[in-house]
Amino acid sequence: MFFITYLRRELRRRMRQSILVALGLALGIGLVVTVTAASAGVRKAQSDVLRSLYGVGTDITVTGKAPKPRLPTSGPGKGGQTFEVGPGGAQMCTNGKCHNAAGQTIDHLDSGSYSPFSQSKIAAVAKLKHVKAVAGGLALSDTSITIPKHFGQPGGSLPTPNSFNVQGVDTGQPSLGPLSAGTVTAGRSLKGADAASDVAVVDSGYAKSNKLKVGSTVKIIGHRFTVIGIVAQPQSGSPPQVYIPLARAQALGKAGGKSLKNDVNTIYVSASSAADIPALQAEIKRLLPGDVVTSASSLASQVTGSLSGTARLANDLGRWLSIVVLIAAFAVASRLTLAAVARRVREFGTLKALGWRSRQIIAQVMGESLVLGVVGGAAGVGLGFAGAAIINAVAPSLSASIANSTGQHVVAAGPGGPQNFSPTLTHTVAVPMSASVTAAALVAAVVLAVLGGLLAGSAGSWRIARLRPADALARVA
Amino acid sequence: MYRLTDVSKLYHKGRRTVPAVRELNLVIDDGQWLAVQGRTGHGKSTLLNLLGGLDRPTSGTIELDGQDLGRLSEDRVTRLRARSIGFIFQTFNLVPTLSAAENVEAALIPLRIGAAERRRRVDAALDAVGLADRARHLPGELSGGQQQRAAIARALVKEPTVLLADEPTGNLDEDTRDEIINLLEKLWRERGLTLILVTHDTAIAQRAERVGVMSKGLLTVRPAGGPAAGGPGTAPPGAP
Repeated sequence: MFFITYLRRELRRRMRQSILVALGLALGIGLVVTVTAASAGVRKAQSDVLRSLYGVGTDITVTGKAPKPRLPTSGPGKGGQTFEVGPGGAQMCTNGKCHNAAGQTIDHLDSGSYSPFSQSKIAAVAKLKHVKAVAGGLALSDTSITIPKHFGQPGGSLPTPNSFNVQGVDTGQPSLGPLSAGTVTAGRSLKGADAASDVAVVDSGYAKSNKLKVGSTVKIIGHRFTVIGIVAQPQSGSPPQVYIPLARAQALGKAGGKSLKNDVNTIYVSASSAADIPALQAEIKRLLPGDVVTSASSLASQVTGSLSGTARLANDLGRWLSIVVLIAAFAVASRLTLAAVARRVREFGTLKALGWRSRQIIAQVMGESLVLGVVGGAAGVGLGFAGAAIINAVAPSLSASIANSTGQHVVAAGPGGPQNFSPTLTHTVAVPMSASVTAAALVAAVVLAVLGGLLAGSAGSWRIARLRPADALARVA
Repeated sequence: MYRLTDVSKLYHKGRRTVPAVRELNLVIDDGQWLAVQGRTGHGKSTLLNLLGGLDRPTSGTIELDGQDLGRLSEDRVTRLRARSIGFIFQTFNLVPTLSAAENVEAALIPLRIGAAERRRRVDAALDAVGLADRARHLPGELSGGQQQRAAIARALVKEPTVLLADEPTGNLDEDTRDEIINLLEKLWRERGLTLILVTHDTAIAQRAERVGVMSKGLLTVRPAGGPAAGGPGTAPPGAP
């Protein structure tokens, strides 16, 4: 009781100083909580992005490597097409035979993003330890370009490809892959019995922009698919736009002019537990050294756009700013505690003369500092919640982009001779920025508050421990 | 009983060595009142610090009831101080944020006495110095005399055997000075304390049983009202 009375009175006596110390700590801790909340929000946004790209429940994906653009001298592969622009105008060449392309529409369903591989690899992965479920997928890109009549002549410009993504879905594994993340808003999803049917589920955004509804038809390289369901993905604008049975996608899709029958370009893997993911990823890499094995954490590094920028801001600038402010707050608290101890030398000397042990006086000073730390911590948590609320109120939606090759190969005449390039499609996902104060952030705040208090108290305690009572009394007598 | 044998205390200021107390031999019997006079800077306060275990001698021994204060561990000296030695300072040295009663209570904290017993003892001590009605007042709300009364209550609340007073009336007016000295004398007589009182005031010193004069670190002791006894600067061991 005496201890508390003494502590309370002392803090009240130097009220302004106490408020300053508590405020400094509050500011530092508030910043840490806010930055942690922002980081948690960014992590959640990243997780939402990944979920929208790979679906709920998918821990690891295996994809074929992105196809390399072919050099102009190498020519198209067997069955492949090139589109060339030269003095004779625009020409479409198939297997070396060329004809005038003006006014024509070129429509491809290509495995543009990833090189395809045999679906036998699915069974190989399924046999691995730590695997809970496996599904194959075929991510295709339907790209059509209508060549303008005057293209290739002065003033004629390259048309923009009209593309949408088609996902071949393993209807036997509905819980894995991109379709699993969506919510069916109309009709139904794909099921096992649809494996060989020309039926499709379309994304709600795509359905809206193309005025599609259940019963409508959607054309994929000239083949009509009946829309049986509309699905809303968690984030707007996320690929793919059309989901069809895997077998149909394999039958229609091509890669470099080659049929994709019995091929997939993605394997979705669910691990037995979150802890098994790194080991399983390593196992798959050993099994399939030529393919790209990606987990959620490794994919996060490929995400660009404002989400990536915000993540960098929160993780780098925010973290360092918090550390600097915390160090400054700790330094100010320590300095003020030292100054307070210096002013109380006579008081402590008197207490030592009364028979107080150094540790009793140190406990008193530590107690005072600790209370300031806890008060600062509590205020800091409040500031942190306020900071998170401000972020949520003012932060715009973040966009995340992952660039994918379309697989198109274009050779165009230019001032420096023929130029070749491969147009790319970018998957952009809009996600709301939602900073939330986590339990971990609150624990961190409490730890920092106690640490700040102890640090400030230690500075004073060190001085008290060295204080000789005779000197303390003589200095002010 | 204090027994000081060849006690010296030297301070080092840069390369210079300053003797604050030199080869002091002195015996102070239990219940004796020794007044120490001398000019500022001649070692009075140093002597008091040595007697209170706040400082250790450079050489010689200081025994209190057979225990050599210079050889006891810091912890044991602190415990001895908490139990047996009361201090009174010229500037009162009350903790400004604590009330008179809480300041008195502070002296009982090291003794680990229960709260109820502490309260009882604090009330009795304040009553003994005539400050019961000011128990809840902060030092800033008390006069100089009242503050010194509170400090005396703080020194006596633990029922010490030794009371060390460093110019306890130095900051008080004449009327208050007499009031405080009368109180100290009364308590000394009633409680059988060993009282060592440093003062500039010859009138106060004359009320003691013995008077010592510190000059350049040397102590000359004589009975009160009589001429200086013993050789230059010392009173022989065993001298009354």
